Amino acid sequence: MHSFGYRANALLTFAVTILAILCAFASLSDNLNVPNPSAHVQVLSINWFQKQPNGNDEVSLTLNVSADLQSMFTWNTKQVFVFLAAEYETPQNSLNQVSLWDGIIPSKEHAKFWTHTANKYRFIDQGSNLRGKEFNLTLHWHVMPKTGKMFADKIVMTGYRLPDEYR
Amino acid sequence: MTVDDESIDLKAGLTLVHTVEAHSRTKQIGLSYTLPMDWQGQKQAELLMQIILGVFAVAAFVVGYSMGSFQTMLLIYAGGVGLTTLFIVPNWPFFNRHPLNWLDPVEVERHPKPKPQPLTSKKKSSSKHK
Repeated sequence: MHSFGYRANALLTFAVTILAILCAFASLSDNLNVPNPSAHVQVLSINWFQKQPNGNDEVSLTLNVSADLQSMFTWNTKQVFVFLAAEYETPQNSLNQVSLWDGIIPSKEHAKFWTHTANKYRFIDQGSNLRGKEFNLTLHWHVMPKTGKMFADKIVMTGYRLPDEYR
Repeated sequence: MTVDDESIDLKAGLTLVHTVEAHSRTKQIGLSYTLPMDWQGQKQAELLMQIILGVFAVAAFVVGYSMGSFQTMLLIYAGGVGLTTLFIVPNWPFFNRHPLNWLDPVEVERHPKPKPQPLTSKKKSSSKHK
């Protein structure tokens, strides 16, 4: 601490150490927040439902997605990534997950939303198993903090069924 | 003699003799003359740094969390770091209030350095040859 440079160095080192501790506490404070998000998805129509030439089933849906994710946002939240996945079981795979729609929510003001959309990514099965298939729509989310630990969770919505015939 | 000289120096009695003596003394005690911050000042500076930064860190976290604004926390803490830099890094005179009292040059003259060794080693080597 005897010279300008040594004091500047000591100050910088100590200040950055404390900054790291502050960030750690900010991350820990996220655990105090208990989110209670809600989501609702409606399948408005089946646009088309066909078998591709290679034998895989593909379906196009029109969806109405509404969700209230405001309770996920804390002072340490940078953004929330959400995606909607169709999940179903086939003889080959015990769990198939097909992402149909996703979005990035940049702030709490945008966290209560609804959207009316066709599936953003193609709903294709690895095979021909979709006729009359029961499936779940699951809203997954990843809460991305400004510092520290990332949180992920999901809401499972059940009771959807694809038609028995191609159309 | 020397004690008297010092007291006169402190009272800023500036005769020619005194200034010459003072000049020679600064040469002798060059270390303390170049130290812009004395030992106690350095200790105080480090303690002060830790206290100010700690207080600002706690305040920044409390205000940031209660306002729900991460940016506010960072700004308050950055302000604290800036303030601490102003307090700690420059060579402020209030960190230099406890100068070291070095011994007068007279003491050094009374206890001169031991003479260099080569004489004895030569003697030893010569005795071995014999």
